[in-house]
Amino acid sequence: MARGNHEVLATLEQIVGADFVSNEEANLQPYTWDMTWAEPRMPDYVVMPKTVTEVQRILRLANHRKIPVIPYTNGTNIGGLCVPEEGGIIIDLKRMDQILNIDPETCYAVIEPGVSHAAFSAALKATNPQWKGQEFSKGFDFGWGVHPASASVLAMAINHGIGHLNGRIGVNSQLLTGMEVVLPTAEVCKLGSCAYSDSWHSFLPLPRMDGLFTGWLGTTGIVTKLGVWIFPIRPYRDVLSVSAASAEDITKYMVHWRHYSLCDEVTAVSWWLAQIPIVFPYHDKPKDAPEFYSYSVITGWSQEELDYKRKIWKQVVDQEKAKGTKLFDFEYPPEAKRGRTELPSRIVGSTKNYSKSCGGGIAWPGTFAPCKSWPILYEKWKEIYIRHGLSPATRFTDYQGAHYGMLRCMTPFNKRDPASVQAARDAMVECVRAGIPEGMLPYKPPVEYQNELNAVADAGYLYLETKIKDMLDPNNIMNPGKLGIR
Amino acid sequence: MSHLLKNKNLEVAKIYDYVSMCTHCGNCKYGYEYGSENNFAAMLCVQGDKFNFDSYRGSRGKVSLARSLMHNRIGFSDAVAHVLFTCTSCGACQQMCETDIKPYILRMFEALRADAWKQNVKIPANIKAWSDTIGKNYNPYKEKHEKRLDWIPSSIKSSLPKKAEYIYFVGCTASYRQKEVAIATAKMLQKLKVDFTIVDDEWCCASPLLRTGQYDIAKDFVEHNSALPDKYKASAFITTCSGCYRTLSRDYKMDAPEGYADKYGKNLPNTKVIHTTQLVDEMLKKGEIEFTGKFAQKVTYHDPCHLGRHAEVYDAPRNILKKVPGLEFVEMYRNQKFSFCCGAGGGVRGGFADYSLETAAKRVKEAESTGAQVLTSACPFCYTNLHDAIEMNKSPLKFEDIVQIIEPIVKRK
Ligand SMILES: Cc1cc2nc3c(=O)[nH]c(=O)nc-3n(C[C@H](O)[C@H](O)[C@H](O)COP(=O)(O)OP(=O)(O)OC[C@H]3O[C@@H](n4cnc5c(N)ncnc54)[C@H](O)[C@@H]3O)c2cc1C
Ligand code: SF4
Ligand code: SF4
Repeated sequence: MARGNHEVLATLEQIVGADFVSNEEANLQPYTWDMTWAEPRMPDYVVMPKTVTEVQRILRLANHRKIPVIPYTNGTNIGGLCVPEEGGIIIDLKRMDQILNIDPETCYAVIEPGVSHAAFSAALKATNPQWKGQEFSKGFDFGWGVHPASASVLAMAINHGIGHLNGRIGVNSQLLTGMEVVLPTAEVCKLGSCAYSDSWHSFLPLPRMDGLFTGWLGTTGIVTKLGVWIFPIRPYRDVLSVSAASAEDITKYMVHWRHYSLCDEVTAVSWWLAQIPIVFPYHDKPKDAPEFYSYSVITGWSQEELDYKRKIWKQVVDQEKAKGTKLFDFEYPPEAKRGRTELPSRIVGSTKNYSKSCGGGIAWPGTFAPCKSWPILYEKWKEIYIRHGLSPATRFTDYQGAHYGMLRCMTPFNKRDPASVQAARDAMVECVRAGIPEGMLPYKPPVEYQNELNAVADAGYLYLETKIKDMLDPNNIMNPGKLGIR
Repeated sequence: MSHLLKNKNLEVAKIYDYVSMCTHCGNCKYGYEYGSENNFAAMLCVQGDKFNFDSYRGSRGKVSLARSLMHNRIGFSDAVAHVLFTCTSCGACQQMCETDIKPYILRMFEALRADAWKQNVKIPANIKAWSDTIGKNYNPYKEKHEKRLDWIPSSIKSSLPKKAEYIYFVGCTASYRQKEVAIATAKMLQKLKVDFTIVDDEWCCASPLLRTGQYDIAKDFVEHNSALPDKYKASAFITTCSGCYRTLSRDYKMDAPEGYADKYGKNLPNTKVIHTTQLVDEMLKKGEIEFTGKFAQKVTYHDPCHLGRHAEVYDAPRNILKKVPGLEFVEMYRNQKFSFCCGAGGGVRGGFADYSLETAAKRVKEAESTGAQVLTSACPFCYTNLHDAIEMNKSPLKFEDIVQIIEPIVKRK
């Protein structure tokens, strides 16, 4: 069955060629749903542009006809963000897959939206940091998440994605250096140093206009090029692990250890998230098992540097134990260690750890929250989750910057059972509601979370957000409905 | 959103429990592996590489389709059939997947095709054409069954015993198309002093039928061929065709999802199935055979999907090639479990010849990039497609099946 309108289809075909547009339900249906509870909704067209000019022409058409446009790269955002609220055009950007530049001297790269983590990591590893032809070391790193390697680097970075260098350098949207964006009204703009020369090294010291397109979930424009900082791979690495009796204990340790800014990452996972797969449906953990397990990745340029970091870490653990913080030694499993030090990973990113045999559903309240609130919210969330028959498979990660970071609960659920879907959704929305007063903010939020946020947001914030959205997207064509304000 | 199985009559609904385990993660859309020196990253899905949309890209698109059909959200259409029949069943997506649907992915493709046959949708004309005649000819090439053994040189024919330890299961492609592979194989088996015969009542192994979801027709073929070893007092089938190897060793023998024991029973329980590369590799390892000449060329090897990803035979052909005197062996970037299909499988060569050859041309280009002079493989069906692509694109490469490389220079000690 075909959908949409023949004239629109014909114009889209003129723009990208007949092979790269479809209005057939057979081709539209993979874009109707994702792993979350989002209700499946059909777009009317899928179109795959190759060039910026094609993107412009599609947006011009969409504006003229007032047709919604949903930017899409891989659809793995865990928030239903690419499921069309009101039909329209899925603009699948996978054909824009060029790594346009890797500058090994200034240390940035410029990529198109369709560049996957897989392709980017392979290219970075094959490029050596250097200065005037003199090579310093082997390969470059970026902040790799634990998501499927086929996901887009650009889509992750502009939506405040979290990579494995978060303890050292922050979240990936803090690594952006330049941007090219097609506005909803089809103008192309360059932001940052690239607006003045071919150098894509930084947004500073200009006004940070990239903020108009980061964290906006594809509702304000289509980013067609992105500059990102890249980092020399440090050849020495290790994983330091410790477990704890409670959320309070593990938080004390994490904040103390990250205080020294010596690790690439420090993360803790609750007993339920440490199980492979996550326990579903909920059952109690064994009485004598720790509540939390933590790993911290350290890297360095020499064994001495690694030894020094390990020494300080040991001091932190000893001092905390002396203060009465209930920490226990535990050996990090070799398989998991490989997963942490060999990112991106097709194994870690495959969802097998989360959802084995449980019926295909995955969602999370994925949030940023002050470390102070972690133990408080963990206890609240745990109660909510257990009440809904779900495991509190919780993760804390302390990011570079203030002591704040990830608080999230990876939640498998059974899509074959409407009651399971409803329970998961209800539990997660309740967690978000409970978290907002404690400083918690959901990332890549599904519409349900946006509604919770908007209900309590500062009026001025909502006023400005709406004003910006209206200014950039007067016909509200860009991923409409996802911000809960239009 | 919940997934309720509404269309319970579909063949694919029988494996709904597994299909519903897909998380829509998209790992199957692109090939990736972390490496200590370099990371591997490449497109592996031939179908997605050609048709782009997510429906065509890896198993996720087809899972999506299966679910939408089972949930009655969409119906069968020509466009659905196009998605289903342009997948070569190469198994690269299955290789990438890590969740519980993984072992059922290829089975799901076949079940969906089986469902498509029952609908009023556009099955590729050429597949329909051979489907109409295979019951009479016992091959998908629309050739007469009586001509199946015409390729055998009289010198070989006269020396074949009535009964033997091995039946050389020639397969339709080598019997009717790439006869030089069949001849080289028979000559080689003689040189190696293998006790083998070739039988005139061999039928198509049923690979094209199973891969394209023609379950009912396949039944007779499975039953017929399964009776051959007893009839000729043979204890093993030996094949040069990777498709026959996969079908006889897995589909005939194994439980679902690897095989079709659930539909046709457990066949060939006492019959070994071996590929020629396994036989030669083993004899070389035991020191029973040796090379008496050289093959002084740079050679790269294409893993047939049915031998590689489907049956995990990666080492045997490489072990052999590395032992051939004078032969310089080079790998393509996409190799072994991350190989790129030749484009012929899953009924695609028959159904969509242009697209199939376009895919083969991509693989030939990759082989050229290694600097090799010879592209080799271990399957007459890959031979057809890669050889044709070499000719059509005037590639400097020469294609030779691995048996053709070793036959002239191998001897029993
Ligand atoms: C198992 C698993 C683990 C995960 N772990 C992590 C993790 O560790 N860290 C992390 O950050 N994320 C994680 N994620 C979430 C997700 O995979 C990443 O955010 C990913 O980068 C999304 O990429 P995508 O290509 O799937 O984007 P999509 O889902 O296709 O798009 C994401 C959003 O970006 C918008 N968008 C896409 N392209 C553009 C563009 N060019 N211009 C404007 N807007 C655009 C879309 O409209 C949508 O709103 C995980 C997901 C899974 C399934
Ligand atoms: S079997 Fe091969 S061609 Fe078919 S979807 Fe999987 S990777 Fe693509
Ligand atoms: S088939 Fe496997 S790899 Fe592909 S989307 Fe589903 S779970 Fe992921």
